[in-house]
Amino acid sequence: MKPTLLALLVLAAPLRAQDTVIVIDPDAASADTSDRQGLPDELIQRLLAVYNDSTTTRFWGDVDLTRESRLTGTIAVYRGSVRLAGTLDGSLTVINGSLLLLPGAEITGDVLVVGGDVALGEGTRIGGHREVYWDAAPVVRAPTGELVRRERRRLPELTTARRSFQTGPLRATLVIGTDGSYNRVEGLPIVFGPTLDLKLSRTLSTRFDARGILRTAGDNDLLREDFGYTGRLELRVGGSRGAGIGARVYSVVNGIEHRPLVRSEVGWSAFLFQRDLWDYFLRKGFGGYLYGYPSRALRLELGVRRDKESSVRANDPWSLFRNSDRWRPNPLIDDGHYITADFWVELDTRNSGEVPATGWWIRAGFERNWGDEDVAPVSLPTSVRSPIPTDGHYAFNRIDIDLRRYNQLSSNLRLSGRVLAAGYAGGDPLPIQRRVSLGGSDLMPGFAFRAFACEQGLNNAALPALCDRVIATQLELRSRLDLGLGYRYRDRFRHDVDRFIGIDQADVVVFVDAGKAWLSGDGPGQVPNNRIPSFKEWKADIGVGIDAGGVGVYVARALTDGQPVRVSLRLTRRF
Amino acid sequence: MRASGLRRLLALGICLALGTAGSLAAQDRVVRVTVALTPDTAQSGQRNPEVRTTAGLLEEERWVSMLRSGFPLRMHYRVEMWRSRSAWFDDLVRQVEWDVVVRHEPLLDQYAVNTIMPGRARENRYTGIEPLARALEAVVYQIAFRPPGPGEYYYIASLQVSTLSDSDLDELERFLRGDLGPAASEGRDLGDALGRGATRVLLKLAGVPSLRIEGRSGRFRVR
Repeated sequence: MKPTLLALLVLAAPLRAQDTVIVIDPDAASADTSDRQGLPDELIQRLLAVYNDSTTTRFWGDVDLTRESRLTGTIAVYRGSVRLAGTLDGSLTVINGSLLLLPGAEITGDVLVVGGDVALGEGTRIGGHREVYWDAAPVVRAPTGELVRRERRRLPELTTARRSFQTGPLRATLVIGTDGSYNRVEGLPIVFGPTLDLKLSRTLSTRFDARGILRTAGDNDLLREDFGYTGRLELRVGGSRGAGIGARVYSVVNGIEHRPLVRSEVGWSAFLFQRDLWDYFLRKGFGGYLYGYPSRALRLELGVRRDKESSVRANDPWSLFRNSDRWRPNPLIDDGHYITADFWVELDTRNSGEVPATGWWIRAGFERNWGDEDVAPVSLPTSVRSPIPTDGHYAFNRIDIDLRRYNQLSSNLRLSGRVLAAGYAGGDPLPIQRRVSLGGSDLMPGFAFRAFACEQGLNNAALPALCDRVIATQLELRSRLDLGLGYRYRDRFRHDVDRFIGIDQADVVVFVDAGKAWLSGDGPGQVPNNRIPSFKEWKADIGVGIDAGGVGVYVARALTDGQPVRVSLRLTRRF
Repeated sequence: MRASGLRRLLALGICLALGTAGSLAAQDRVVRVTVALTPDTAQSGQRNPEVRTTAGLLEEERWVSMLRSGFPLRMHYRVEMWRSRSAWFDDLVRQVEWDVVVRHEPLLDQYAVNTIMPGRARENRYTGIEPLARALEAVVYQIAFRPPGPGEYYYIASLQVSTLSDSDLDELERFLRGDLGPAASEGRDLGDALGRGATRVLLKLAGVPSLRIEGRSGRFRVR
């Protein structure tokens, strides 16, 4: 007996009389619905051609044609449904609407309905070919009356305006919006500029984008320009496997250490509470890169760049609360020109990016840096860093590894682990802008922000991250709970429906973290370069939280130090 | 100061108590996705999942009002087949996903339900919310999984219900993960993260429609 038939026989389960049974065959083609690409491009081109043709009779909105009506030629209707009781001697195209043929109605030619359906009454007739697509067409009516392709509207880009124009294989897009975060150096950066996409063939495309950056926070020290920019030219080949090569120029304010929290969370923290948890420096330069992705899961990238890296000061942008407080100063960096060559590899075998239950996510990078003669190091105690060369022979290596594994323990329990290691990997001592720290609501929520920054008694209000190396491990157990937490009540005016505000289900998360940040070297209080500190020296915390799908509240307590219980709110999954 | 702290604690306690009471009262009508197993009649012991959404999704105003406002409702199902391994992590054998999109067509005053499954699609139409809600609740999805060999298995089904706007958010996130050009990885071209954060807060805390629920089957043994 064939396996499929056997499976269907097995499916003969007792069901309620009114049930509708739909059998889903996972072996059918295109099992991954995320691969669906919407309407074919040729179809959209066809819609635009028909609607914009000068011989077409166009309607906009609902159309009701009575039994006595008789139309001839090509008819196109946009954003409206058609109720036809009469006769159309020609073809009909309905874009983002449905067609209802009432009894006795007739269309002699072809019918094309996109973004709707066709309902046929008794005795109706369609003489030509009938095509129906329920996916809505991504088109919009321009002020000239013609239809043009619509860029996808995305709710998160509430403060981003975007306009595209397409001519053959070339598409131009103009963008103006925010830069995606809020910080004490730039305030709310406004980015603007064009993107040009040229599709040279089915698998070969090139893209050029240029962005100006307007920094809205005033800078009295003139260490930072009010305008920045980025420009990029990239050639890409391939589909699910492929490669690309590109070049870029930039003048941007960069985060020094992209921890704790992710960029958007840091932006919220700064905007609401005047707590900016990242530090920044100005990076101005140019570079090139080469990348390849032999499969959907794996991506490799090689790059080289030359930067001028400069210190920037914290300014005084507005915040919703605590606006009268002072911002934490932004630390000075080791200014100068640097050449960087780096290699990155990223592997993602997770079954789902949003709620992974199994798989790996690994991102690892190695970079080699050379400093020019103009490198001007900040004076640091020798207990933190031995002097760095300023004769043009300054060179250092750095690594960054983030490894995450997701496992399912049982039907209701998921166990995930993460190891993160970053920092010094040989050569001369690291500059300040490549140093690391530990502590805060991301890696170690039981400890204060930068509780371990290797300051060695240096009393700096900027609280710079000065450690050479950091290693952190995270382990968390998740269990899905039916919470039904919230209110459900009858609508006062419409008694057939309820209103509900709250959380239906959420993950209860129990976690433990351990890690260590340290100075590497042979000096007192430093750990030799070829060693990792003994586990007894690591710091650890434990905690519990509720993750309601992107918004989570966590309570954590340090296990190794006398620290108060800390509560943190996250807008993203922990890892 | 101490009195103020006590007052806050009392207020928090009242809120929690009210929340729990509301929760208990509402438990019987909370939307759930259930995974039942077909009867144990096969010689091999193989059983397949029957996935059903219970308790009337469309009894809630949040979905109905979005539908009537012209926003399609997207129900994204995913069913995973897991092999239980004692003393080790369970093994994801395979998974399947499909979508159900519900739209209101004001001119016809009909609700169209499009089910887009692997390899095929189907459409049904309903003339009102009540027949639509009954139909959605009466649908049972049977998935023709075939366990690859002997062992203990179970199924997990998840249902993500969203409106068009929430789907857009997901699409953006997929785009950000899957199509990261080097400039984008610098965070230069990622759109508005502040807006994204605000959207999430609104979606999750203010009751703007977005729902993700899971259900699990019992275990069964394949010989």
